[in-house]
Amino acid sequence: MRAMKFSVLALVFAAGALLVTRPAAAHHSAAMFDDAKVVELKGTIKEMQWKNPHVWIQVVVDQDGKPTEWSLEAGSPNSLSRNGWRSNTFKAGDEVAVRLNPMKDGTPAGQFIGAKFQTDGKTIGRWQ
Amino acid sequence: MMRRTAIVLFVAAAVFVGTRLIAAQAGSALIAAQAQSTLIAAQAQSAAVAAQAQSATHAPASALPDWSGIWAMQGPTVFDRASVQPQNGRAGDPGVREFPPYTDEFEAAYKKNIELIKQGLFPDPITNCGTPHGFPRVMNLPDVYEFAVTPQATYILTENGPNIVRVYTDGRKHPAAEDRWGTYSGASVGHWEGDTLVFETVSAKGNSDHDVIVDRTGLMLSGDAHFVTRLRKVNDMTMEAQMVIEDPKALKGPWKITKQYRKLPAGTWAWDYGCAENNRNPISSSGKTLTLGPDGKPIDKKVD
Repeated sequence: MRAMKFSVLALVFAAGALLVTRPAAAHHSAAMFDDAKVVELKGTIKEMQWKNPHVWIQVVVDQDGKPTEWSLEAGSPNSLSRNGWRSNTFKAGDEVAVRLNPMKDGTPAGQFIGAKFQTDGKTIGRWQ
Repeated sequence: MMRRTAIVLFVAAAVFVGTRLIAAQAGSALIAAQAQSTLIAAQAQSAAVAAQAQSATHAPASALPDWSGIWAMQGPTVFDRASVQPQNGRAGDPGVREFPPYTDEFEAAYKKNIELIKQGLFPDPITNCGTPHGFPRVMNLPDVYEFAVTPQATYILTENGPNIVRVYTDGRKHPAAEDRWGTYSGASVGHWEGDTLVFETVSAKGNSDHDVIVDRTGLMLSGDAHFVTRLRKVNDMTMEAQMVIEDPKALKGPWKITKQYRKLPAGTWAWDYGCAENNRNPISSSGKTLTLGPDGKPIDKKVD
């Protein structure tokens, strides 16, 4: 495990059991994601796009004093709704910690793994 | 003189009206005759179709199995899990492949796809929203299935789509070769053997237009593939599809695949899958799958 420069929190976990994490099949190649890394960020939800083919969660993270918007891709609303999600699971302003497989090219985006709400400690997705 | 003229005009008018009346009556009779013959022809056709259907092996509604409910394929989307290497490899991961009894031509094409996957340049055709998965991939999908059974046809509905496989069981045969063409899901006709739906699928377009794969490892079949599928409920919680695939262009021998589907809890919903609703993953000219930001512009560091 090594800390990244992000001022709030960003952790990269080394490959291990935790990393068998890929969510249900996407409608596209997952070649852009780095399955060997798990990044954890703390930030504020800007928006959740509850639409097909993928739910997208927009999170604003303070990185070295600069707000950076991350795009996190999750499964389809269809499959997520059958696994405890609702269309308002994430609301604008929610303070969260999120884990993701980042894009390989360093783009602030990735494949959603799980999240923990800072207010009540509840989790969604995979969070161990 | 005027009186004679009036009489002539009256007679002419009467003849004209009479002629029109007779013509109208004749026309009506003709139309009626035509209608009668059309009706007879239609009845004869219906009778012929009914007789054909009656002679078929389709079961009455009361004898059909109950396949109601929502079902999910078990396991990941590797099509041939018996041969996949490495074991438990995931479709789309670099270096993962299966071993169908490919001809040299298709083995070479498969290896090209595998190489493109390693380079991140093998887009899934369905990423272009609206493209059906095609047969047999349609039997190998994430999300959920429904199986709608009627005496005349069974419909395989996939949530992840768009896909509908129509299996006609009314006794019809496949269209003649000159009356069919390659489609994504192909043409399927079937019959019941007890509680098993046995159906044959032809005219699935395969890789003829390079927009159908069998799974994300890059597997393909040709448009000449022939499929025999035996679909049945093996217990209250499990559906099973056993497929035997023959393809004179792609395969040196039959390729046998079994897929199972687990029943989800009663009351589970299937939903629309409008893939184009918010597709943030277009394909670049090189075949790279891009990622769009919330503003609709690519956020990839490199876009070609």
